[in-house]
Amino acid sequence: MTGRLCFKPINMINRKIFFLFFLSIFFLHEADAQPRQGDMAADISLPSVTGDTLHLSSLKGKIVLLDFWASWCGPCRVANRGLTKIYDKFGGKGFEIYSVSLDAEKEDWVKAIKKDKISWQQVIDPGGWETPTAQRWGIYALPTSYLIDREGRLIAMDLAGKELEKALKQLIDK
Amino acid sequence: MKKLLLFLIIALSVTSAGAQFTRAKLQATGLTCAMCSNAVNKALQKVSFVETVKSDIKNSAFTIVFKPNTRVEIDDLKDAVEDAGFSIGTLQLTGTFSDLKIEKDQHVKIGDENFHFLNGDSQVLNGEQSLTIADRNFVTEKQFKKYSSATKMSCMQTGKAASCCVKDGIAAGERVYHVTM
Repeated sequence: MTGRLCFKPINMINRKIFFLFFLSIFFLHEADAQPRQGDMAADISLPSVTGDTLHLSSLKGKIVLLDFWASWCGPCRVANRGLTKIYDKFGGKGFEIYSVSLDAEKEDWVKAIKKDKISWQQVIDPGGWETPTAQRWGIYALPTSYLIDREGRLIAMDLAGKELEKALKQLIDK
Repeated sequence: MKKLLLFLIIALSVTSAGAQFTRAKLQATGLTCAMCSNAVNKALQKVSFVETVKSDIKNSAFTIVFKPNTRVEIDDLKDAVEDAGFSIGTLQLTGTFSDLKIEKDQHVKIGDENFHFLNGDSQVLNGEQSLTIADRNFVTEKQFKKYSSATKMSCMQTGKAASCCVKDGIAAGERVYHVTM
């Protein structure tokens, strides 16, 4: 008799464990996967240079370039020059850049912003690849950027220079 | 008593084995910025004897800590970096040494591995010491040329023991790591 009584609860526990196991696999997988074209951009809320929290979602209605970089990343610094030109051209036309730095040291980041004369939105999630934002967005190389439309949908990745300019023209005329 | 003696002999022979590498500093190079990719980091973390990997941005290097009492197969680090699409610029290994006799241009066994010291005076290594691997594909091609001029032995070019190394008790064909202090 006792054997039967014992059997049921264990079975229930097993089921629960299995369920949690599959759930965790699902979420772990989700956390690692890179967002895809067509996905809605997950919100990012991080501090700016002055310490105010800037929300990516507050830019809804604008076309946004979400850009991941760090001051120590040479190619990112070169890319900043290109972005400055693009921002000068399209900044007043419903386009914004939201840059997320993965610098570990806030000082390095602030210095780089000044040196590169960056005037667009800048936030920081200090600590490199392991930071929650880098993990959530599946960032494995710098620079990485996403182009987001007015509705908050991801429409392209890693566009730069002429390609970015062409995409922006099309989106702004829409 | 016999058992105790046996235990002591084993204990002594283990400690006199020379050294245990505990950590490493690795610089990767490539056509693109090695630190700007997480690929090297991830690949090193997957190596069986690696405990932790940290990016040292200021020095453009990776600080690797090895699992304690685990055999460190140095070639595995090189393979990991190469599989990630980069190559090693420098690899410096740090370990704790006890009474390890070394001589310039001579071979010595550290743990299970053979080492060939390219420079430094004849000495006995004790305490924490760092060695830099000077083998092909562990340094830039230019540096390799510089390092390899330090010895006439053919093992420098191949990384494998040849007749030159047999007098030091190393079988032909065994892997020999060339190091500088």
